[in-house]
Amino acid sequence: MDPVIRLSKVTVRYRNNGRGFLTAVAGVDLSVMPEEFVSIVGKSGCGKTTLLKVIAGLIRPDEGEVFLNGHAFNGSKKKIGVMFQSPLLLPWRTILKNILLPIEILGENPEDYVERALMLIERTGLKGFENSYPWELSGGMQQRAALCRALIHKPLLLLLDEPFSSLDAITREEMWILLESVFLYEKYTTVLVTHDIREAVLLSDRVIVMSGKPGKIKAEVKIPFSRPRSLDLQYTKEFNEYVAEIKNMLGE
Amino acid sequence: MGSSSRAKSVTLGIAAILTILATWEILAHLLRVPKYVLPPPSSIVETTLKYFSYLSANLLDTLFHALVGLSLAASFSLILSLPLAYSETLRDAINPLIAGFNAIPRAALVPLLALWFGLGGVPKVLTAFLIAFYPILVPTLTAMVTIERELWEMLTSFGATKGQVLVKVAIPRSMPYFLSSLHMGLTSALVGTVIAEMIASDRGLGYVILSSTSRLDTSLAFSCLMLLALTTFILSKTISIIEKRVVKWAYRAST
Ligand SMILES: Nc1ncnc2c1ncn2[C@@H]1O[C@H](COP(=O)(O)OP(=O)(O)OP(=O)(O)O)[C@@H](O)[C@H]1O
Ligand SMILES: [Mg+2]
Repeated sequence: MDPVIRLSKVTVRYRNNGRGFLTAVAGVDLSVMPEEFVSIVGKSGCGKTTLLKVIAGLIRPDEGEVFLNGHAFNGSKKKIGVMFQSPLLLPWRTILKNILLPIEILGENPEDYVERALMLIERTGLKGFENSYPWELSGGMQQRAALCRALIHKPLLLLLDEPFSSLDAITREEMWILLESVFLYEKYTTVLVTHDIREAVLLSDRVIVMSGKPGKIKAEVKIPFSRPRSLDLQYTKEFNEYVAEIKNMLGE
Repeated sequence: MGSSSRAKSVTLGIAAILTILATWEILAHLLRVPKYVLPPPSSIVETTLKYFSYLSANLLDTLFHALVGLSLAASFSLILSLPLAYSETLRDAINPLIAGFNAIPRAALVPLLALWFGLGGVPKVLTAFLIAFYPILVPTLTAMVTIERELWEMLTSFGATKGQVLVKVAIPRSMPYFLSSLHMGLTSALVGTVIAEMIASDRGLGYVILSSTSRLDTSLAFSCLMLLALTTFILSKTISIIEKRVVKWAYRAST
């Protein structure tokens, strides 16, 4: 099986206010297999977002190569779904219209996707809010709408950059379970950037630990728990051993 | 704002205006200020009623030219902002030109406009346009080009073109700014028209103000000022109502 995304010796440098360059990511090799859920953890500023932007095709690496489904990026329409810390919903569009935005961008007929949008809305517990405006929803509900928008076009690759970090602990756990339950119906190849080690262990098949200055992959931990996973997993000994192991790697 | 607190603020506003008018009236009588220096409100009202048809004809003339100028300025700003929002290069090329033009006191152009286009309507409309377009263009364009970085990244990650970002995000996002800039645009257009009327016209309230003050008919000049203020106020309210309807989402915090 070919990886969905493959990074080969990727190096990214930022111009540093005229004071030379800052190497944000150095020589990173990374492959993500179809339907695999990979998390990237690491200290603040170690280059996680930069790496995710390289995967999304937003940043061209200064060195190395990126392949999406075996092909080099060519900057055309891509089936990628993204979700950031803030939901970024457009306030002049209803929830339904917000969710259909990627379809419009991809140049397909939004009408054909209304049914799918309504199904996602139902699965994420937003039923009845499809004609509401984003500002009428709570933060957690807005993030669920952002998830629907990320999934509407069945992306080849789902990229999540700290999508739950602005939510309170309880809402965040709800979102974990929501992701698990959505993935029961349709599996996605996912890369999640997070600060929350418990989140990474609970959701991932593989956790990538990064070290900073410059950003490199320090270690990889496979998380073999069966799916669907429940919140109770957090209270098992093995779960906490994984959390402790990753925490130790980060602390070094 | 709740309806009771709105009613309260309207009442307070009217009370303040009435207090000022009453004080003005009393002081004018007590201090025996000559009418040609500062007429009391009662005399302004009297003059307004006496010359009502003359004043309203001239008011309509001013208003017509100001609104044509404003419409031109609004359309021009909107149309110009699209290519400017699309292309940073174009923006860099044209910005100094627009800023430089804005630095010219436009009132000083009126004699030239009159020289080129004769007395009458054209210099009035053009002056209104020239003064009004900058305060409309700048906020509209700024709103179009200051899209959140992450939003832009989200859209480009699945291949949105610049044109798509412009249509789907930049233009709708700029609408509240565009509409609210019409308030400033309206005042500017009226100022432009009145100035042009003072310099190069024999019609309109600007002309009436100029000719009445030269005859020391100060009450008539004050009538004009009052009518202009009242008209601006009413039109501004109309724009507000349109704003609240068209870009309801922009007022989400206040509902
Ligand atoms: N646009 C930019 N220009 C210059 N330097 C940048 C830019 N973006 C990021 N950097 C620098 O690159 C390094 C990595 O940044 P990045 O955002 O990838 O970190 P991160 O791991 O996502 O951090 P956090 O966990 O705080 O989100 C940081 O030192 C940062 O200051
Ligand atoms: Mg980051």
